[in-house]
Amino acid sequence: MWCMSRQFLIFLIAISCCAEAAHAKRPQKQAMVETDSRFAIEVQSVLAKAGCNAGTCHGNFNGKGGFRLSLRGQDPSDDHQWITRDHAGRRINLMDPAESLLLAKPTGRVSHQGGRRFDEDSLEYQILFNWIACGAPAEADEDARLESIDVLPLDVVVRDPADSVNISVLARYSDGSSRDVTSLAVYEPSSLDVEVTADGTVIRKKYGESTVVVRYLQKQVPVRVAFVPRVKGQRRIQYPESANYVDEHVFTKLKELGIKPSSLASDEVFVRRVFLDAIGVLPTADEARAFISNDSPTKRVDLIDTLLSRDEFAEFWALKWSDVLRNEEKVLDVKGVEVYHDWILQSMKENKPIDQFVRELLLGRGSTFENPPANFWRSVRTPIARSETTARLFLGVRLGCAKCHNHPFDRWTQDDYYDWTSFFARIDYEWEEKRRDKFDKNEFVGDQVVKITDEGEVKNARTGVNAQPRFLGLHQFADVKATGTDQRIEELAAWITSADNKFFVKSQVNRIWFHLMGRGLVEPVDDFRLTNPASHPALLNALADRFVSSKFDLRALARDILISNAYQIGSDINETNQNDELNYSRVVMKRYQAEVLLDAQCQTIGRPAKFNGYPEGMRAVQLPGDRKVRRREASPADGDLFLEAFGKPERLLACECERSDETTLNQVFILCADDGMVDRLADPNNLLKQLADSDMSNRAIVDEVFLSALSRFPMDSERGVAVAMLNHAQGKEVDSEYRSVTDQYLDDEVDRWVVLQDIVWALINSKEYVFRH
Amino acid sequence: MNLVNGKFPIQLSRHQQLGVQSSVLHRRDAIRAGGAGLLGLNLPKILAARDKVKTPLVQRAKRVIFLFQWGGPSHIDMFDMKPNAPEEVRGPLKPIQSVVPGLPICELMPRMSKYMDQVCLIRSVHHTMTNHNSAGYYALSGHEPPSNDQRLRDSLDLYPAYGSVVDYLSPATTGMPTSVSYPYTIRDGSITPGQHASFLGKAHDPFFFENDPNDDAFTLPQLRLPSGLSASRLNRRRFIQQTIDKQTALLESSGAAQGFDLYYDRAIRMLTSDKVRSAFDLTQESESVRESYGRTTYGQSCLLSRRLIESGVKFVTVYFSNSIGGRSIDKGGWDTHGFDDTRMFEIIPKYHLPITEQTLPTLLEDLQQRGLYDDTLVVWMGEFGRTPKINKNVSRDHWPQCYTVLLAGGCVKQGYVYGSSDSHGATPDENPVTPEDLAATIYYALGIDPATEIYTRDDRPLVIGGDPVTEIFA
Repeated sequence: MWCMSRQFLIFLIAISCCAEAAHAKRPQKQAMVETDSRFAIEVQSVLAKAGCNAGTCHGNFNGKGGFRLSLRGQDPSDDHQWITRDHAGRRINLMDPAESLLLAKPTGRVSHQGGRRFDEDSLEYQILFNWIACGAPAEADEDARLESIDVLPLDVVVRDPADSVNISVLARYSDGSSRDVTSLAVYEPSSLDVEVTADGTVIRKKYGESTVVVRYLQKQVPVRVAFVPRVKGQRRIQYPESANYVDEHVFTKLKELGIKPSSLASDEVFVRRVFLDAIGVLPTADEARAFISNDSPTKRVDLIDTLLSRDEFAEFWALKWSDVLRNEEKVLDVKGVEVYHDWILQSMKENKPIDQFVRELLLGRGSTFENPPANFWRSVRTPIARSETTARLFLGVRLGCAKCHNHPFDRWTQDDYYDWTSFFARIDYEWEEKRRDKFDKNEFVGDQVVKITDEGEVKNARTGVNAQPRFLGLHQFADVKATGTDQRIEELAAWITSADNKFFVKSQVNRIWFHLMGRGLVEPVDDFRLTNPASHPALLNALADRFVSSKFDLRALARDILISNAYQIGSDINETNQNDELNYSRVVMKRYQAEVLLDAQCQTIGRPAKFNGYPEGMRAVQLPGDRKVRRREASPADGDLFLEAFGKPERLLACECERSDETTLNQVFILCADDGMVDRLADPNNLLKQLADSDMSNRAIVDEVFLSALSRFPMDSERGVAVAMLNHAQGKEVDSEYRSVTDQYLDDEVDRWVVLQDIVWALINSKEYVFRH
Repeated sequence: MNLVNGKFPIQLSRHQQLGVQSSVLHRRDAIRAGGAGLLGLNLPKILAARDKVKTPLVQRAKRVIFLFQWGGPSHIDMFDMKPNAPEEVRGPLKPIQSVVPGLPICELMPRMSKYMDQVCLIRSVHHTMTNHNSAGYYALSGHEPPSNDQRLRDSLDLYPAYGSVVDYLSPATTGMPTSVSYPYTIRDGSITPGQHASFLGKAHDPFFFENDPNDDAFTLPQLRLPSGLSASRLNRRRFIQQTIDKQTALLESSGAAQGFDLYYDRAIRMLTSDKVRSAFDLTQESESVRESYGRTTYGQSCLLSRRLIESGVKFVTVYFSNSIGGRSIDKGGWDTHGFDDTRMFEIIPKYHLPITEQTLPTLLEDLQQRGLYDDTLVVWMGEFGRTPKINKNVSRDHWPQCYTVLLAGGCVKQGYVYGSSDSHGATPDENPVTPEDLAATIYYALGIDPATEIYTRDDRPLVIGGDPVTEIFA
């Protein structure tokens, strides 16, 4: 009787007969609800809203409790089968809809591991009930499809005292109709700073900026919400002047958000930061002293220009590229690693345009020993590894999810994935199979020839049919001749590195920004995604334009970033910037990376670390590969172990995310009591010994080691403690103010050198030393 | 002395991952909230765990002792004997009755047979990985490797060890490391994946060491000051460091910096005096207790596991051996193919079975006597079983298709058998269990929802376990 038409009215009271238990408690809601019974639109939206088809529940590849749905409802016809046919059809009961497991489980009437998902008086219940009552029809060809969703607002600043904002969602269908689906859409906030109710109200938990992804069926839209506190004097905040376009974008946004940035970094903080960020090297005491005492108004820009032209700039970037290009010995051989690193280093030294650099990598072929960029293909051995790595590194897109199902957080479908992957099917290797361990298929010894073949296809896992080359994001297939020997890769290289390819340009710009600023405009850097918008989209565009107009000049872009006042911002905290993580209102603090920290320590102490297989004196940043000498051949040297513990990547993932900047207790043990550190500090050939044996005053020595470690002179209290200890060690008079300190902490036999070691240990272990600030 | 091999698991940084968004975390707040005994060390982890664990489950076991039998023990010759099978299947060893009627075990384990009423056997564990490294990773992580690779390459996209997942989701709040593993890095040609925290981050690595607990001089480098560095000198260094740190607001403004600073307190306490040192001090055990566990690396490792859980460690992993073994009667793992005239039935009666017979019942009894048994889960398992049919070397090869896992502790049904194998022990007959399910069962016992998601380095959500075998719980 109900199902005379596909659209109908039902009376809530009719449903309640089937659900007596819930009846008594039911609030007096609307008496009538209009729903319809279309599976692909109505039923699927309920299954999403209630979380049934989430990856942790029935959307899991293996289902849950014997019931499987496609992930987030991407495959309505499959889902219809599972619901209506599987489990002997017991999930639905056409005669008595309320007895359907599909309703009994989520309402908790029958035990459900996933708990109670909705009530019997909910819209969700009504929709499922009606659909079953109508005979549980499948999607019909004539059913309207969802075309798009309009979400409002898309970007909103909410000022105190307001502490919430409503999102509304309008669905537009192929038949021209539209409808408010606010209460059926799914809301996923990016952080715990906000909470979103089922009907789209975003509630502030903390001030700051968050993204809420709004999803309805297969359409997703990110909404940026910033909750801004009202702080006295906010309107009168003085912003640093803009040094260039970078600042205009950054400070405009800070103004909009009412955030007062930290004051600009002092000369002392700046010189240390810019050395370590730009070239990965600590300024020496002399360099720091010269910079601080220089009174030229252009000294910061002058220093930046000097650093950009130093060889260490190229060495530092060769390290960054080697990390993500998987330059490691097991697959590339020790020799391959060295020639590859040399080639990358040379490219960085001559400031090869980045588009050309990438093109040479993609077109690399022939002997990997003779023609180093061919190692790019040697390192990724299957079409899938090549396609995912290429997308990630050069387009900033993580495609992996779309291998097994449509990407849940982006627009990539499985077809997109396999069509893209088919570009990478025609690469092969010629090599003499010799292995150190015949069972180890992950190791390749000796030279290899990367060659392009004229056959090889990739099968689309969804259709079982060979995919055809299609560029990401384009609808038509690429114009490549099926028989042309290397047509696919050439077309691919041209398309990827084109100045018109926004994916390419933006992802490269973002990576450079990330390495200098400590956080990508898109973060993670290789995760450009519909649902992961840039913190400053206009700035990203401006940097991209600049990169193109400078002909992909790494140093030019780095210079723009470094000379900005946004780069030079300090770390002091105020009421408005304390919760800001996105807007560069204070410096991005993080532990310096393994190589930089170790090199800095060695420079401060004046003794090098040891790396197996490399000559003494080589800096960690200069190491070409992961590890030249295997563990089974020799136990790792102190430098190797330090790098491992502080997160140097093994270079297997082609991802910046492989490098870790976390801190661990184990790292502190290494800094406190490991051989490497203990021996270097106590090495009679180190700088400290020279200082201790010199006739410099204790005060001058303390100044020297502070400048060399922290690029600043000691404060009075620091100098007081350090000089007092050194004086005590030499049997000299100790300033009465510090006598209690020397009494308490110098109860053992010490001399000047021993105390100096302790002072330098303390400097190296200070937070100022270890953390970018 | 190199400390780098020691892995400490306590996490304080990576606040984003922890869900602690603000970098402003005042030190005093951290200390207050974490409790003085903890020095606030676990606060972010506790907050994070609260957010990450989907639904709190009943905690059936407070801790786990995971005894990993590297090489693959034979199910048919130990806990799933087939006396009625043909001779080439049942083998030369005979069953004896145990205290549980209808649950015979190998004649060479008469002592163990008296403890079968304290254990639960799952006789239907199965998977398809026939190589040690791929199967070992599967058994240590509960996740199927991407391929059945004999030299499966360890990388950060493989799953973490159980103990690391526990540390990430439900860390110990006792001031002790959550997870400790020893006394070997296991390998077969290359290092077997699944022994560390992988993509969860080094901060969740098990506290790991390779020192031999059976060594008279057994002690850990992390618990000993290097020569030339006295306690008073270390304190002096710390004092100067703190003087420098006071000059900037970094400790106030960065959670990562604060966390790093707290590690110094902890490291110095451990290097000088700490309850952690005492937990690792086997000399505090009486001679008779030490003898009862057996004066072997495995025996003393198991004794140490009891000391560790007693002092608050939540997940202890003991590796039986460093190598797959099989060619020696006094060392190595369970991989007895009979190669080069080293026959299985000469090796296991002389080596593996006597050690197991001495140590395993002792551990169970000791746990009982100390009141630890009821809330401890003991897991005894290898990466696979061995071929039902005896090979031409009068030994057995790899058999992942069906094998037995032994569980013990108050939370599991006592003297209970779950699942069964066919008449030759070749395939599961009823209630097959995968390593994913076994992982889920361990997490479930600890009150961790096996459907909890963890995130890979590229933020892909992965579920930690399969379907828990809830029927085995008492």
